Amino acid sequence: MAEASIEFKGSSFTLSVLHLKTSILADISADLAKKVAQAPDFFYLVPVVVSIEKLDCSVDYQAIKLLVESFDFTFVGFTGAITKEQRNVIRELGFSFVNTTKNSILEKSITTTVPAVENIPAVVAATPTPLYTDKIHRGQIRSGQQVYAKAQNLVVIGSVSAGAEVIADGNIHVYGALRGRAIAGATGHHKAQIYCQNLEAELVSINGNYWLSESMEQHWGAPAFIHLTDSELTSSKLT
Amino acid sequence: MARIIVVTSGKGGVGKTTSSAAIGLGLALKGHKVVLIDFDIGLRNLDLIMGCERRVVYDFVNVINGEATLNQALIKDKRVSSLSILPASQTRDKDALNKENVGKVLEELGKTYDYIICDSPAGIEAGAMMALYYADEAIVTTNPEVSSVRDSDRILGMLASRSRRAELGLEPIKEHLLLTRYSPKRVEEGEMLSVEDVEDILSIPLLGVIPESQAVLKASNAGEPVILDTESDAGKAYQDVVDRLLGETVEFRFLTAEKKGIFSRMFGG
Ligand SMILES: Nc1ncnc2c1ncn2[C@@H]1O[C@H](COP(=O)(O)OP(=O)(O)OP(=O)(O)O)[C@@H](O)[C@H]1O
Ligand SMILES: [Mg+2]
Repeated sequence: MAEASIEFKGSSFTLSVLHLKTSILADISADLAKKVAQAPDFFYLVPVVVSIEKLDCSVDYQAIKLLVESFDFTFVGFTGAITKEQRNVIRELGFSFVNTTKNSILEKSITTTVPAVENIPAVVAATPTPLYTDKIHRGQIRSGQQVYAKAQNLVVIGSVSAGAEVIADGNIHVYGALRGRAIAGATGHHKAQIYCQNLEAELVSINGNYWLSESMEQHWGAPAFIHLTDSELTSSKLT
Repeated sequence: MARIIVVTSGKGGVGKTTSSAAIGLGLALKGHKVVLIDFDIGLRNLDLIMGCERRVVYDFVNVINGEATLNQALIKDKRVSSLSILPASQTRDKDALNKENVGKVLEELGKTYDYIICDSPAGIEAGAMMALYYADEAIVTTNPEVSSVRDSDRILGMLASRSRRAELGLEPIKEHLLLTRYSPKRVEEGEMLSVEDVEDILSIPLLGVIPESQAVLKASNAGEPVILDTESDAGKAYQDVVDRLLGETVEFRFLTAEKKGIFSRMFGG
Protein backbone atom coordinates (compact mmCIF):
# COMPACT_ATOMS: atom_id res chain seq x y z
CA MET A 1 0.00 0.00 0.00
CA ALA A 2 1.24 3.50 -0.79
CA GLU A 3 2.10 5.76 2.11
CA ALA A 4 -0.35 8.49 3.07
CA SER A 5 0.35 11.68 1.18
CA ILE A 6 -0.14 13.87 4.23
CA GLU A 7 0.48 13.81 7.93
CA PHE A 8 -0.53 16.12 10.78
CA LYS A 9 2.04 16.95 13.37
CA GLY A 10 2.33 19.59 16.07
CA SER A 11 5.17 22.10 15.92
CA SER A 12 6.04 25.31 17.67
CA PHE A 13 6.84 28.44 15.71
CA THR A 14 8.07 31.84 16.62
CA LEU A 15 5.54 34.35 15.34
CA SER A 16 5.37 38.10 15.49
CA VAL A 17 2.55 39.39 17.64
CA LEU A 18 1.06 42.81 17.00
CA HIS A 19 -0.31 44.20 20.26
CA LEU A 20 -3.15 46.63 19.77
CA LYS A 21 -3.61 49.29 22.40
CA THR A 22 -6.49 51.06 20.71
CA SER A 23 -9.29 50.03 18.44
CA ILE A 24 -9.19 53.31 16.52
CA LEU A 25 -8.22 52.19 13.04
CA ALA A 26 -6.76 55.53 11.95
CA ASP A 27 -4.29 55.50 14.86
CA ILE A 28 -3.29 51.91 14.27
CA SER A 29 -2.79 52.61 10.61
CA ALA A 30 -0.62 55.65 11.26
CA ASP A 31 1.62 53.84 13.74
CA LEU A 32 1.89 50.74 11.58
CA ALA A 33 2.95 52.91 8.67
CA LYS A 34 5.73 54.45 10.79
CA LYS A 35 6.89 51.07 12.03
CA VAL A 36 6.94 49.46 8.62
CA ALA A 37 8.76 52.43 7.11
CA GLN A 38 11.67 51.72 9.47
CA ALA A 39 12.28 48.26 8.02
CA PRO A 40 10.04 47.53 5.05
CA ASP A 41 11.98 44.40 3.99
CA PHE A 42 11.86 42.96 7.43
CA PHE A 43 8.10 43.14 7.69
CA TYR A 44 7.24 42.15 4.14
CA LEU A 45 4.90 39.12 4.20
CA VAL A 46 5.85 38.37 7.79
CA PRO A 47 3.19 36.18 9.44
CA VAL A 48 1.58 38.13 12.23
CA VAL A 49 -0.84 37.36 15.05
CA VAL A 50 -2.89 40.30 16.32
CA SER A 51 -3.32 40.53 20.09
CA ILE A 52 -6.51 42.14 21.32
CA GLU A 53 -5.53 41.65 24.91
CA LYS A 54 -5.68 45.35 25.69
CA LEU A 55 -8.95 46.09 23.90
CA ASP A 56 -12.59 46.03 24.97
CA CYS A 57 -15.33 44.20 23.09
CA SER A 58 -15.99 46.78 20.43
CA VAL A 59 -13.40 45.58 17.96
CA ASP A 60 -13.94 45.47 14.23
CA TYR A 61 -11.99 42.26 13.61
CA GLN A 62 -12.60 42.25 9.88
CA ALA A 63 -11.32 45.80 9.51
CA ILE A 64 -8.23 45.07 11.60
CA LYS A 65 -7.39 42.04 9.50
CA LEU A 66 -7.72 44.05 6.27
CA LEU A 67 -5.66 46.87 7.72
CA VAL A 68 -2.85 44.54 8.74
CA GLU A 69 -2.88 42.93 5.32
CA SER A 70 -2.80 46.30 3.60
CA PHE A 71 0.72 46.69 5.07
CA ASP A 72 1.74 43.41 3.43
CA PHE A 73 1.76 41.33 6.57
CA THR A 74 0.44 37.77 6.35
CA PHE A 75 -2.46 37.67 8.77
CA VAL A 76 -2.52 34.46 10.84
CA GLY A 77 -5.21 35.08 13.44
CA PHE A 78 -6.05 36.73 16.73
CA THR A 79 -4.77 36.11 20.19
CA GLY A 80 -5.35 37.46 23.68
CA ALA A 81 -9.15 37.27 23.72
CA ILE A 82 -10.09 36.87 27.30
CA THR A 83 -13.79 36.23 27.25
CA LYS A 84 -15.62 33.39 25.66
CA GLU A 85 -17.83 35.85 23.77
CA GLN A 86 -14.78 37.42 22.16
CA ARG A 87 -13.50 34.04 21.07
CA ASN A 88 -16.90 33.09 19.65
CA VAL A 89 -17.16 36.29 17.65
CA ILE A 90 -13.70 35.71 16.22
CA ARG A 91 -14.53 32.14 15.25
CA GLU A 92 -17.88 33.10 13.70
CA LEU A 93 -16.09 35.58 11.49
CA GLY A 94 -13.95 32.70 10.22
CA PHE A 95 -10.67 33.78 11.82
CA SER A 96 -8.42 31.53 13.81
CA PHE A 97 -7.76 32.11 17.42
CA VAL A 98 -4.20 31.32 18.52
CA ASN A 99 -3.27 30.50 22.11
CA THR A 100 0.12 31.30 23.55
CA THR A 101 1.86 29.22 26.15
CA LYS A 102 3.56 32.12 27.87
CA ASN A 103 1.73 34.97 29.46
CA SER A 104 4.35 37.39 28.32
CA ILE A 105 1.81 39.52 26.48
CA LEU A 106 0.25 40.36 29.80
CA GLU A 107 3.55 41.57 31.15
CA LYS A 108 3.90 44.27 28.55
CA SER A 109 1.64 47.20 29.39
CA ILE A 110 2.97 50.24 27.64
CA THR A 111 0.09 52.65 27.44
CA THR A 112 0.86 54.37 24.19
CA THR A 113 -1.01 53.67 21.01
CA VAL A 114 2.17 52.48 19.29
CA PRO A 115 1.77 48.87 18.31
CA ALA A 116 4.56 46.85 19.87
CA VAL A 117 5.91 44.00 17.78
CA GLU A 118 7.71 41.26 19.58
CA ASN A 119 8.43 37.62 19.09
CA ILE A 120 6.58 35.11 21.16
CA PRO A 121 6.69 31.38 20.66
CA ALA A 122 3.15 30.27 19.97
CA VAL A 123 2.54 26.59 20.54
CA VAL A 124 -0.02 25.51 18.00
CA ALA A 125 -0.10 21.95 19.28
CA ALA A 126 2.12 19.97 21.60
CA THR A 127 4.76 17.67 20.09
CA PRO A 128 5.66 14.75 22.29
CA THR A 129 9.23 13.56 21.74
CA PRO A 130 8.80 10.27 19.88
CA LEU A 131 10.27 7.12 21.39
CA TYR A 132 11.94 5.16 18.64
CA THR A 133 13.30 1.65 18.56
CA ASP A 134 16.58 0.93 16.79
CA LYS A 135 17.14 -0.52 13.35
CA ILE A 136 20.58 -2.11 13.35
CA HIS A 137 22.58 -2.48 10.15
CA ARG A 138 25.71 -4.60 10.33
CA GLY A 139 28.40 -3.96 7.75
CA GLN A 140 29.45 -1.14 5.53
CA ILE A 141 26.85 0.76 3.50
CA ARG A 142 28.37 1.16 0.06
CA SER A 143 28.17 3.80 -2.63
CA GLY A 144 24.77 3.65 -4.34
CA GLN A 145 23.06 1.95 -1.39
CA GLN A 146 20.37 3.55 0.74
CA VAL A 147 19.15 2.44 4.14
CA TYR A 148 16.03 3.97 5.67
CA ALA A 149 14.97 3.42 9.27
CA LYS A 150 11.30 4.34 9.07
CA ALA A 151 9.93 5.48 12.42
CA GLN A 152 13.14 4.19 14.00
CA ASN A 153 16.67 5.20 14.93
CA LEU A 154 19.37 3.80 12.66
CA VAL A 155 22.48 2.16 14.08
CA VAL A 156 25.18 1.32 11.52
CA ILE A 157 27.93 -1.01 12.69
CA GLY A 158 30.39 -0.13 9.95
CA SER A 159 31.09 2.86 7.76
CA VAL A 160 28.81 4.73 5.37
CA SER A 161 30.67 5.16 2.09
CA ALA A 162 30.75 8.28 -0.03
CA GLY A 163 27.80 7.99 -2.40
CA ALA A 164 25.70 6.03 0.12
CA GLU A 165 22.72 7.45 1.99
CA VAL A 166 21.36 6.69 5.46
CA ILE A 167 18.00 8.05 6.55
CA ALA A 168 16.14 7.75 9.85
CA ASP A 169 13.04 9.30 11.30
CA GLY A 170 14.95 9.25 14.60
CA ASN A 171 18.68 9.44 15.35
CA ILE A 172 21.55 8.03 13.30
CA HIS A 173 24.55 6.35 14.92
CA VAL A 174 27.48 5.31 12.74
CA TYR A 175 30.10 3.12 14.39
CA GLY A 176 32.59 3.84 11.66
CA ALA A 177 33.23 6.68 9.23
CA LEU A 178 30.34 8.73 7.87
CA ARG A 179 31.39 9.63 4.33
CA GLY A 180 28.03 9.62 2.56
CA ARG A 181 24.78 11.43 3.32
CA ALA A 182 22.94 11.16 6.65
CA ILE A 183 19.42 12.45 7.09
CA ALA A 184 18.03 12.26 10.62
CA GLY A 185 14.61 13.36 11.82
CA ALA A 186 13.49 12.80 8.26
CA THR A 187 9.77 13.19 8.89
CA GLY A 188 10.14 16.22 11.13
CA HIS A 189 11.85 15.71 14.45
CA HIS A 190 14.04 18.58 15.55
CA LYS A 191 15.62 16.70 18.44
CA ALA A 192 17.11 14.05 16.15
CA GLN A 193 20.90 13.76 16.23
CA ILE A 194 23.64 12.20 14.12
CA TYR A 195 26.60 10.48 15.75
CA CYS A 196 29.66 9.09 14.01
CA GLN A 197 33.20 8.03 14.78
CA ASN A 198 34.66 9.91 11.85
CA LEU A 199 32.86 12.85 10.31
CA GLU A 200 33.62 13.13 6.59
CA ALA A 201 30.06 13.35 5.33
CA GLU A 202 28.89 14.68 1.98
CA LEU A 203 25.75 15.99 3.64
CA VAL A 204 24.09 15.86 7.04
CA SER A 205 20.52 16.92 7.61
CA ILE A 206 18.31 17.12 10.68
CA ASN A 207 14.64 17.99 10.39
CA GLY A 208 15.25 19.60 7.00
CA ASN A 209 18.27 21.70 8.03
CA TYR A 210 21.33 20.57 6.14
CA TRP A 211 25.07 21.03 5.94
CA LEU A 212 27.40 20.19 3.09
CA SER A 213 30.98 19.05 3.76
CA GLU A 214 32.34 22.59 3.84
CA SER A 215 30.30 23.39 6.97
CA MET A 216 31.77 20.45 8.88
CA GLU A 217 35.33 21.77 9.00
CA GLN A 218 35.45 22.10 12.77
CA HIS A 219 35.17 18.39 13.47
CA TRP A 220 36.18 17.01 10.07
CA GLY A 221 37.79 13.60 10.36
CA ALA A 222 36.99 13.41 14.07
CA PRO A 223 34.36 11.64 16.17
CA ALA A 224 31.45 14.04 16.32
CA PHE A 225 27.74 14.49 16.70
CA ILE A 226 25.42 16.87 14.95
CA HIS A 227 22.32 18.35 16.49
CA LEU A 228 20.00 21.32 16.18
CA THR A 229 20.09 24.31 18.45
CA ASP A 230 17.47 26.93 17.64
CA SER A 231 17.01 25.58 14.12
CA GLU A 232 20.77 25.82 13.48
CA LEU A 233 22.92 22.77 12.92
CA THR A 234 25.76 22.44 15.39
CA SER A 235 28.56 19.89 15.56
CA SER A 236 30.18 18.83 18.78
CA LYS A 237 33.10 16.64 19.62
CA LEU A 238 32.24 13.12 20.63
CA THR A 239 34.48 12.03 23.45
CA MET B 1 34.07 -27.95 -5.77
CA ALA B 2 35.29 -25.35 -8.22
CA ARG B 3 35.98 -21.87 -6.91
CA ILE B 4 34.23 -19.32 -9.10
CA ILE B 5 36.19 -16.07 -8.92
CA VAL B 6 35.05 -12.85 -10.62
CA VAL B 7 37.59 -10.17 -11.43
CA THR B 8 35.59 -6.98 -11.30
CA SER B 9 36.00 -3.21 -10.78
CA GLY B 10 33.17 -0.97 -11.87
CA LYS B 11 35.58 1.44 -13.53
CA GLY B 12 37.06 0.49 -16.89
CA GLY B 13 40.71 0.05 -17.81
CA VAL B 14 41.98 -0.59 -14.30
CA GLY B 15 43.62 -3.95 -15.08
CA LYS B 16 40.92 -6.63 -14.79
CA THR B 17 41.90 -8.51 -17.92
CA THR B 18 45.63 -8.20 -17.17
CA SER B 19 44.95 -9.59 -13.68
CA SER B 20 42.62 -12.38 -14.84
CA ALA B 21 45.24 -13.59 -17.29
CA ALA B 22 48.14 -13.42 -14.83
CA ILE B 23 46.28 -15.02 -11.94
CA GLY B 24 44.70 -17.72 -14.11
CA LEU B 25 48.02 -18.69 -15.62
CA GLY B 26 49.71 -18.54 -12.23
CA LEU B 27 47.17 -20.91 -10.67
CA ALA B 28 47.55 -23.31 -13.61
CA LEU B 29 51.32 -23.24 -13.26
CA LYS B 30 50.79 -24.43 -9.69
CA GLY B 31 49.09 -27.50 -11.11
CA HIS B 32 45.43 -26.47 -10.75
CA LYS B 33 42.85 -26.90 -13.46
CA VAL B 34 41.81 -23.41 -14.46
CA VAL B 35 39.36 -21.96 -16.97
CA LEU B 36 39.33 -18.27 -17.85
CA ILE B 37 36.01 -16.88 -19.10
CA ASP B 38 35.80 -13.60 -20.96
CA PHE B 39 32.50 -11.95 -19.98
CA ASP B 40 33.31 -8.80 -21.92
CA ILE B 41 31.04 -9.69 -24.84
CA GLY B 42 31.59 -7.45 -27.84
CA LEU B 43 35.16 -6.46 -26.99
CA ARG B 44 37.20 -9.70 -26.86
CA ASN B 45 40.32 -8.84 -24.99
CA LEU B 46 41.33 -11.78 -22.88
CA ASP B 47 42.31 -13.94 -25.88
CA LEU B 48 44.70 -11.22 -27.04
CA ILE B 49 46.40 -10.96 -23.66
CA MET B 50 46.59 -14.76 -23.50
CA GLY B 51 47.99 -14.84 -27.02
CA CYS B 52 45.35 -17.21 -28.41
CA GLU B 53 43.33 -14.80 -30.56
CA ARG B 54 44.10 -16.74 -33.76
CA ARG B 55 42.72 -19.93 -32.34
CA VAL B 56 39.20 -18.72 -31.63
CA VAL B 57 36.62 -20.75 -33.56
CA TYR B 58 33.58 -20.76 -31.29
CA ASP B 59 32.91 -18.50 -28.34
CA PHE B 60 30.95 -18.17 -25.09
CA VAL B 61 27.82 -16.91 -26.88
CA ASN B 62 27.85 -19.89 -29.28
CA VAL B 63 27.89 -22.19 -26.27
CA ILE B 64 25.08 -20.26 -24.56
CA ASN B 65 22.97 -20.46 -27.73
CA GLY B 66 23.68 -24.17 -28.17
CA GLU B 67 25.55 -23.55 -31.44
CA ALA B 68 28.69 -25.23 -30.12
CA THR B 69 29.64 -27.54 -27.28
CA LEU B 70 31.87 -26.39 -24.47
CA ASN B 71 34.67 -28.63 -25.72
CA GLN B 72 34.49 -27.05 -29.16
CA ALA B 73 34.71 -23.55 -27.74
CA LEU B 74 37.34 -24.02 -25.04
CA ILE B 75 40.88 -23.16 -26.12
CA LYS B 76 43.68 -25.06 -24.43
CA ASP B 77 46.61 -22.90 -23.44
CA LYS B 78 49.79 -23.86 -25.31
CA ARG B 79 52.06 -23.17 -22.33
CA VAL B 80 50.12 -24.92 -19.55
CA SER B 81 47.86 -27.84 -20.37
CA SER B 82 45.68 -27.42 -17.28
CA LEU B 83 44.55 -23.96 -18.45
CA SER B 84 41.67 -23.26 -20.86
CA ILE B 85 40.13 -20.07 -22.17
CA LEU B 86 36.51 -19.49 -23.07
CA PRO B 87 36.65 -16.44 -25.33
CA ALA B 88 34.01 -13.74 -25.71
CA SER B 89 32.28 -13.00 -28.96
CA GLN B 90 33.22 -9.88 -30.84
CA THR B 91 30.18 -9.91 -33.05
CA ARG B 92 27.38 -10.21 -30.49
CA ASP B 93 26.02 -7.53 -28.23
CA LYS B 94 26.42 -7.70 -24.50
CA ASP B 95 22.84 -8.83 -23.87
CA ALA B 96 23.56 -12.20 -25.48
CA LEU B 97 24.06 -13.87 -22.10
CA ASN B 98 21.27 -14.98 -19.80
CA LYS B 99 21.46 -16.12 -16.20
CA GLU B 100 20.01 -19.54 -16.71
CA ASN B 101 22.34 -20.61 -19.52
CA VAL B 102 25.40 -19.03 -17.94
CA GLY B 103 24.57 -21.03 -14.82
CA LYS B 104 24.46 -24.23 -16.86
CA VAL B 105 27.83 -23.53 -18.50
CA LEU B 106 29.44 -22.79 -15.11
CA GLU B 107 27.98 -25.95 -13.64
CA GLU B 108 29.37 -27.98 -16.50
CA LEU B 109 32.82 -26.37 -16.18
CA GLY B 110 32.74 -26.94 -12.42
CA LYS B 111 32.84 -30.68 -13.02
CA THR B 112 36.27 -30.45 -14.64
CA TYR B 113 38.00 -27.33 -13.30
CA ASP B 114 39.24 -26.23 -9.85
CA TYR B 115 39.12 -22.54 -10.64
CA ILE B 116 36.70 -20.65 -12.88
CA ILE B 117 37.94 -17.10 -13.38
CA CYS B 118 35.42 -14.64 -14.79
CA ASP B 119 36.89 -11.53 -16.41
CA SER B 120 34.13 -8.94 -15.98
CA PRO B 121 33.37 -6.05 -18.30
CA ALA B 122 33.52 -2.56 -16.79
CA GLY B 123 30.42 -0.77 -15.57
CA ILE B 124 27.53 -1.85 -13.40
CA GLU B 125 25.17 -2.94 -16.17
CA ALA B 126 23.87 -6.35 -17.16
CA GLY B 127 27.23 -7.68 -18.39
CA ALA B 128 29.05 -6.94 -15.15
CA MET B 129 26.10 -8.26 -13.13
CA MET B 130 26.16 -11.49 -15.12
CA ALA B 131 29.90 -11.93 -14.48
CA LEU B 132 29.52 -11.56 -10.71
CA TYR B 133 26.19 -13.34 -10.25
CA TYR B 134 27.50 -16.88 -9.66
CA ALA B 135 30.75 -15.88 -7.96
CA ASP B 136 32.05 -17.44 -4.75
CA GLU B 137 34.87 -14.94 -4.52
CA ALA B 138 35.57 -11.54 -6.03
CA ILE B 139 38.83 -9.86 -6.83
CA VAL B 140 37.94 -6.20 -6.71
CA THR B 141 40.48 -4.53 -8.95
CA THR B 142 41.15 -0.92 -8.03
CA ASN B 143 43.55 1.81 -9.06
CA PRO B 144 44.73 4.14 -6.30
CA GLU B 145 42.55 7.06 -7.30
CA VAL B 146 39.26 8.40 -5.99
CA SER B 147 36.97 7.53 -8.91
CA SER B 148 38.22 3.96 -9.15
CA VAL B 149 37.84 3.44 -5.40
CA ARG B 150 34.33 4.88 -5.52
CA ASP B 151 33.36 2.47 -8.31
CA SER B 152 34.85 -0.47 -6.46
CA ASP B 153 32.78 0.50 -3.44
CA ARG B 154 29.72 0.49 -5.67
CA ILE B 155 30.60 -2.96 -7.00
CA LEU B 156 31.08 -4.24 -3.44
CA GLY B 157 27.53 -3.12 -2.75
CA MET B 158 26.35 -5.10 -5.80
CA LEU B 159 28.28 -8.20 -4.71
CA ALA B 160 26.47 -8.01 -1.40
CA SER B 161 23.02 -7.48 -2.88
CA ARG B 162 22.76 -8.66 -6.47
CA SER B 163 24.66 -11.94 -6.52
CA ARG B 164 23.21 -15.41 -6.36
CA ARG B 165 24.67 -15.84 -2.90
CA ALA B 166 22.91 -12.68 -1.73
CA GLU B 167 19.62 -13.66 -3.34
CA LEU B 168 19.65 -17.12 -1.75
CA GLY B 169 20.88 -15.81 1.60
CA LEU B 170 24.01 -17.97 1.40
CA GLU B 171 27.39 -17.09 2.86
CA PRO B 172 28.42 -13.82 1.20
CA ILE B 173 30.93 -13.61 -1.64
CA LYS B 174 34.50 -13.57 -0.32
CA GLU B 175 35.96 -10.20 -1.22
CA HIS B 176 39.60 -9.48 -2.09
CA LEU B 177 41.15 -6.10 -2.80
CA LEU B 178 43.67 -6.00 -5.63
CA LEU B 179 45.34 -2.64 -5.99
CA THR B 180 46.86 -2.28 -9.45
CA ARG B 181 49.00 0.32 -11.24
CA TYR B 182 50.37 1.35 -7.86
CA SER B 183 53.08 3.95 -8.00
CA PRO B 184 54.77 4.47 -4.60
CA LYS B 185 56.52 7.57 -5.89
CA ARG B 186 53.25 9.23 -6.86
CA VAL B 187 51.72 8.20 -3.56
CA GLU B 188 54.59 9.86 -1.70
CA GLU B 189 54.10 12.97 -3.80
CA GLY B 190 50.46 12.99 -2.77
CA GLU B 191 49.15 12.43 -6.30
CA MET B 192 47.66 9.03 -5.55
CA LEU B 193 45.88 7.33 -2.69
CA SER B 194 48.02 5.06 -0.54
CA VAL B 195 47.32 1.41 0.18
CA GLU B 196 46.16 2.44 3.65
CA ASP B 197 43.79 5.07 2.23
CA VAL B 198 42.14 2.54 -0.07
CA GLU B 199 41.95 -0.13 2.63
CA ASP B 200 40.41 2.40 4.98
CA ILE B 201 37.69 3.36 2.49
CA LEU B 202 36.83 -0.10 1.19
CA SER B 203 37.65 -2.11 4.33
CA ILE B 204 38.08 -5.48 2.67
CA PRO B 205 41.15 -7.76 2.93
CA LEU B 206 44.08 -6.85 0.70
CA LEU B 207 45.04 -9.58 -1.75
CA GLY B 208 47.81 -7.78 -3.56
CA VAL B 209 49.42 -4.60 -4.78
CA ILE B 210 50.65 -4.60 -8.38
CA PRO B 211 53.06 -1.81 -9.19
CA GLU B 212 52.73 0.35 -12.29
CA SER B 213 55.10 -1.38 -14.66
CA GLN B 214 56.39 -1.21 -18.22
CA ALA B 215 56.44 -5.00 -18.18
CA VAL B 216 52.62 -5.12 -18.39
CA LEU B 217 52.37 -3.40 -21.75
CA LYS B 218 55.23 -5.47 -23.11
CA ALA B 219 53.53 -8.63 -21.89
CA SER B 220 50.16 -7.84 -23.44
CA ASN B 221 51.73 -6.94 -26.77
CA ALA B 222 53.50 -10.29 -26.74
CA GLY B 223 50.41 -12.23 -25.66
CA GLU B 224 52.34 -13.55 -22.68
CA PRO B 225 50.67 -12.85 -19.31
CA VAL B 226 53.01 -10.74 -17.20
CA ILE B 227 53.34 -13.41 -14.51
CA LEU B 228 55.61 -15.26 -16.96
CA ASP B 229 58.03 -12.33 -16.77
CA THR B 230 59.48 -13.55 -13.50
CA GLU B 231 62.12 -10.82 -13.45
CA SER B 232 59.61 -7.97 -13.50
CA ASP B 233 58.15 -6.39 -10.37
CA ALA B 234 54.59 -6.78 -11.73
CA GLY B 235 55.27 -10.45 -12.50
CA LYS B 236 56.54 -11.02 -8.98
CA ALA B 237 53.62 -9.16 -7.44
CA TYR B 238 51.13 -11.32 -9.37
CA GLN B 239 52.99 -14.44 -8.23
CA ASP B 240 52.50 -13.26 -4.62
CA VAL B 241 48.78 -12.82 -5.34
CA VAL B 242 48.52 -16.40 -6.60
CA ASP B 243 50.31 -17.69 -3.51
CA ARG B 244 47.98 -15.73 -1.23
CA LEU B 245 44.92 -17.07 -3.08
CA LEU B 246 46.28 -20.53 -2.34
CA GLY B 247 46.38 -19.73 1.34
CA GLU B 248 50.01 -18.75 1.83
CA THR B 249 51.05 -15.75 3.87
CA VAL B 250 53.29 -13.62 1.72
CA GLU B 251 54.69 -10.26 2.69
CA PHE B 252 53.70 -7.29 0.54
CA ARG B 253 56.41 -5.79 -1.64
CA PHE B 254 56.80 -2.83 -3.98
CA LEU B 255 54.97 -0.54 -1.54
CA THR B 256 57.67 2.08 -1.23
CA ALA B 257 59.54 4.10 -3.81
CA GLU B 258 62.97 2.74 -4.67
CA LYS B 259 65.55 4.27 -2.36
CA LYS B 260 68.60 5.79 -3.92
CA GLY B 261 71.78 3.79 -3.39
CA ILE B 262 74.08 4.82 -0.56
CA PHE B 263 76.61 6.37 -2.94
CA SER B 264 74.19 8.50 -4.85
CA ARG B 265 72.77 9.66 -1.52
CA MET B 266 76.18 10.52 -0.14
CA PHE B 267 77.23 12.34 -3.25
CA GLY B 268 73.87 13.86 -4.05
CA GLY B 269 73.58 11.92 -7.32
N1 LIG C 1 50.36 -2.77 -13.45
C1 LIG C 1 50.23 -2.10 -14.60
N2 LIG C 1 51.23 -1.28 -15.02
C2 LIG C 1 51.12 -0.60 -16.17
N3 LIG C 1 50.06 -0.69 -17.00
C3 LIG C 1 49.04 -1.50 -16.66
C4 LIG C 1 49.07 -2.25 -15.46
N4 LIG C 1 47.92 -2.96 -15.37
C5 LIG C 1 47.20 -2.67 -16.48
N5 LIG C 1 47.88 -1.80 -17.27
C6 LIG C 1 47.44 -1.25 -18.55
O1 LIG C 1 46.16 -0.67 -18.39
C7 LIG C 1 45.36 -0.87 -19.54
C8 LIG C 1 44.06 -1.54 -19.15
O2 LIG C 1 44.32 -2.83 -18.65
P1 LIG C 1 43.25 -4.00 -18.77
O3 LIG C 1 42.80 -4.17 -20.17
O4 LIG C 1 43.78 -5.16 -18.04
O5 LIG C 1 42.09 -3.32 -17.93
P2 LIG C 1 40.56 -3.78 -17.81
O6 LIG C 1 40.15 -3.40 -16.46
O7 LIG C 1 40.41 -5.20 -18.23
O8 LIG C 1 39.89 -2.84 -18.89
P3 LIG C 1 38.37 -2.94 -19.41
O9 LIG C 1 37.55 -2.30 -18.34
O10 LIG C 1 38.39 -2.14 -20.67
O11 LIG C 1 38.06 -4.39 -19.60
C9 LIG C 1 46.19 -1.71 -20.49
O12 LIG C 1 46.77 -0.85 -21.44
C10 LIG C 1 47.24 -2.32 -19.60
O13 LIG C 1 48.42 -2.55 -20.30
MG1 LIG D 1 39.08 -6.08 -19.67
